[in-house]
Amino acid sequence: MDTSSVKIILLILHYLFFGYAFLSVLSYVILSVISGKETIEYIKKNSFVNYKDILSSTVSPSITIIAPAYNESLNIVENVRSLLSNHYVNYNVIIINDGSKDNSLEKLIEAYDLEKIDFIVNSKIKTQPLRAGVFKSKNPAFEKLMVVDKENGGKADALNMGLNISKNKYVACIDVDCLLLEDALQKMIKPFLEETNVRVIATGGVIRIANSCVIRGGKLIDINLPKKLLVQSQILEYLRAFLLGRMAWSRLNGLLVISGAFGILDREIAIAVGGYDTQTVGEDMEIIVRMRRYMEEIKEKYRVSYIPDPLCWTEAPDSYKIFISQRNRWTRGTIETLKKHRKIGFNPKYGSFGMISYPYWLIFERLAPIIEVIGLIYFTILIILREVRWDFAISFFILAYLFSVLFSIVAIYSEELTFHEYKKKGTGYKLVLLSALEPFVLHPFILYAAIRGNYDYYFNKKKKWGTMVRKGLVST
Amino acid sequence: MINSQYSIDYFNELPLIIKVVWVFSFVLFLTIILLTIYLKIFRSYLRKKDQEKVKFKTEYEGLLVTYLYSSSDPRKLNPEQEAIILQLQNSLKSASERKIIISVLYNLMNEVSGEMSESIKTFYYKTGLIDYALAKLKNKNWYTIAKGIGELTRFNIVEAHDHISKFIKHPRNEVRNATQLYLVNLFRFNGLHFLDDLNVPLSEWVQVQLLETLQKFDDQQICNIQPWLKSTNNTVILFALKLAQIYNQFEVKDSLIELLSHSNKEIRVKAIDVLSHLYGIEAKEILKTNFNELSLEEQISFFGLLEKLVVPSDEPFVEKHLFHKNFEIQLLALKILKSINVDKFKWLSNSAKTNYNSEMIEYVNNI
Repeated sequence: MDTSSVKIILLILHYLFFGYAFLSVLSYVILSVISGKETIEYIKKNSFVNYKDILSSTVSPSITIIAPAYNESLNIVENVRSLLSNHYVNYNVIIINDGSKDNSLEKLIEAYDLEKIDFIVNSKIKTQPLRAGVFKSKNPAFEKLMVVDKENGGKADALNMGLNISKNKYVACIDVDCLLLEDALQKMIKPFLEETNVRVIATGGVIRIANSCVIRGGKLIDINLPKKLLVQSQILEYLRAFLLGRMAWSRLNGLLVISGAFGILDREIAIAVGGYDTQTVGEDMEIIVRMRRYMEEIKEKYRVSYIPDPLCWTEAPDSYKIFISQRNRWTRGTIETLKKHRKIGFNPKYGSFGMISYPYWLIFERLAPIIEVIGLIYFTILIILREVRWDFAISFFILAYLFSVLFSIVAIYSEELTFHEYKKKGTGYKLVLLSALEPFVLHPFILYAAIRGNYDYYFNKKKKWGTMVRKGLVST
Repeated sequence: MINSQYSIDYFNELPLIIKVVWVFSFVLFLTIILLTIYLKIFRSYLRKKDQEKVKFKTEYEGLLVTYLYSSSDPRKLNPEQEAIILQLQNSLKSASERKIIISVLYNLMNEVSGEMSESIKTFYYKTGLIDYALAKLKNKNWYTIAKGIGELTRFNIVEAHDHISKFIKHPRNEVRNATQLYLVNLFRFNGLHFLDDLNVPLSEWVQVQLLETLQKFDDQQICNIQPWLKSTNNTVILFALKLAQIYNQFEVKDSLIELLSHSNKEIRVKAIDVLSHLYGIEAKEILKTNFNELSLEEQISFFGLLEKLVVPSDEPFVEKHLFHKNFEIQLLALKILKSINVDKFKWLSNSAKTNYNSEMIEYVNNI
């Protein structure tokens, strides 16, 4: 190859990187605008809603909360108490003890006065068998509670057991250690009930970070900004993702994921598609994609809804090791889901699901870390070859950095204009400061975890969930 | 001076694209600075608003409780009450304070009844709050109209009927729903006549709220639901079926039987549910005859009914379905068999020939 050919190749590469970055920024801008419109609409629509009647009504639809637990003995009793304190009338709680090796079951039996009952499971979805069996409380105060002890099969398997056992039309699948606000169920059930022309198959909610928050008796008392920079940065990241990203996808009916920490599913459809996939580590995304695919294939109008209220609070990783492990798993989950459902991508048969949502996830979520790393390697080579035009490089770097800071600030504004949860003095400046620091303190680790996720997916097939060590939320 | 001149010269010599990038960067930088400064002002404003809200709420709560307890006659105001009205009329000029007063009144309305709620209504009129709510109905924004209707509903303003009823066919369903709730909250079963010619779907969300509202009243004298059971609007039929079930409408039997052959499955399943609730054995015989024509969901629903109303003469029918392919029907059939003929159930469970689900047999045996 002569010098001119090399130059042409380099030029094409430059334009490809530039085009990708430009489209990426443009998509963020468009999504922010759509998200703003959707949030305003949501707030208007809900500003005069009387939730009281739904809350106390015995004719409101029944919901089952399914909460899988594995070795959660440290906080299981308090966590279950929190789940039982919801204000909604028609709901029950099924705790699936997924073959825990600790004394979770014994603790639950003692705390809630449980006794074994005769029960037969209609195994519409194949799961690991029961171990000690099914337990209900002798105390009428805990009549909503059912504890199922089964052989270990992983989170997806435990959720499938819950889907088999539940008799209700809707199931709320949540992480047992999440703190659910008391009005969470009535707000989350609303999209299912208010739609008349399309079938709502799932609803997701915002997940907020509860590290350093004060929790008393299963209730959120005081919201604080955590001290650790890593956790603070994740707060900002969650604000961006949930308030700017998912809200927009909800308006476009293009949501591909509902957080496994808290989401409500139409049980009939969840069972019709075969429940959660036990072979993936991204079961929360995979089931939504499969449910959507099913609805497209049977040609029934549907919607995956999303509400921005801060209803579910969870503990975020506070060490880089755990954080990387979590993001590694998220990456593998995304790859697995997109690969499994690759038939959907760019397929007009699946409408906007196939032509917009899937391609967006593939190009701007799945491929983003890979393209970024290729870009970094390419840039390093150019430095070595002394081929860098520094006036270009510096100006574009500064532009990209300022855009990312501004985007985070927009997310902060979105939070302040809607829910204004971080009320304490000084928090606003801390969040702005974080916007400036986050590209350096969080993003490199996200990138590293994503690359590790890719590596593990292709070269380390044995790797599954990894460990998520929880310290428990601050309870007083 | 030399440095700035050098920078200008340097900038002028840059390629166009770099110039554009720097201009963009400068705009972004300026926006960040401005937004950061404004964030401080905005957060301080929000904090101040929150503090004011708490302060005014406490203040107004005290005044309104004094207002309520200072007279036992809701129609006649005493000097103390008049003074409170006068004092609060000034506060009402501010939209935010008006909002706080309304929220305090909402809370009080939830806690009091009878004469006390009449006193609140008098207050609502005398302070002129009603005028603000009626003005909302003339607003061009749909959500302001819906808010106005909601407010007039909460304060039981019957007199606003003519202003509100015209919204029953409003293009926004939120406004329509608020109107429907107003009518039912204030005119009870008579308010349901909007169903007569409702040609848009009635969401389950609104249905639950309407049913809940109706159940709060002491007077449970329901109007004729027959026309709604024959409606061309499926959601109206479903709502009427719920009414028939809750209010034991025995006189609609023929309509219910007709609904068993309705084209909508959800209606058919609900009709089975209502029929079994109201007519029991009679409904059972009708459904038994048509069992094979029912959908699986309807068949499960029927077996649920049969479990409650089974008689020994049903045994041959139950036996026929002991090996039904559906788990729930199989289980119900087995349970029913045990309840009417234990010996046959035991024979079945011991029979070597049976290839029945042993786990299910054991479960039914134990219950």
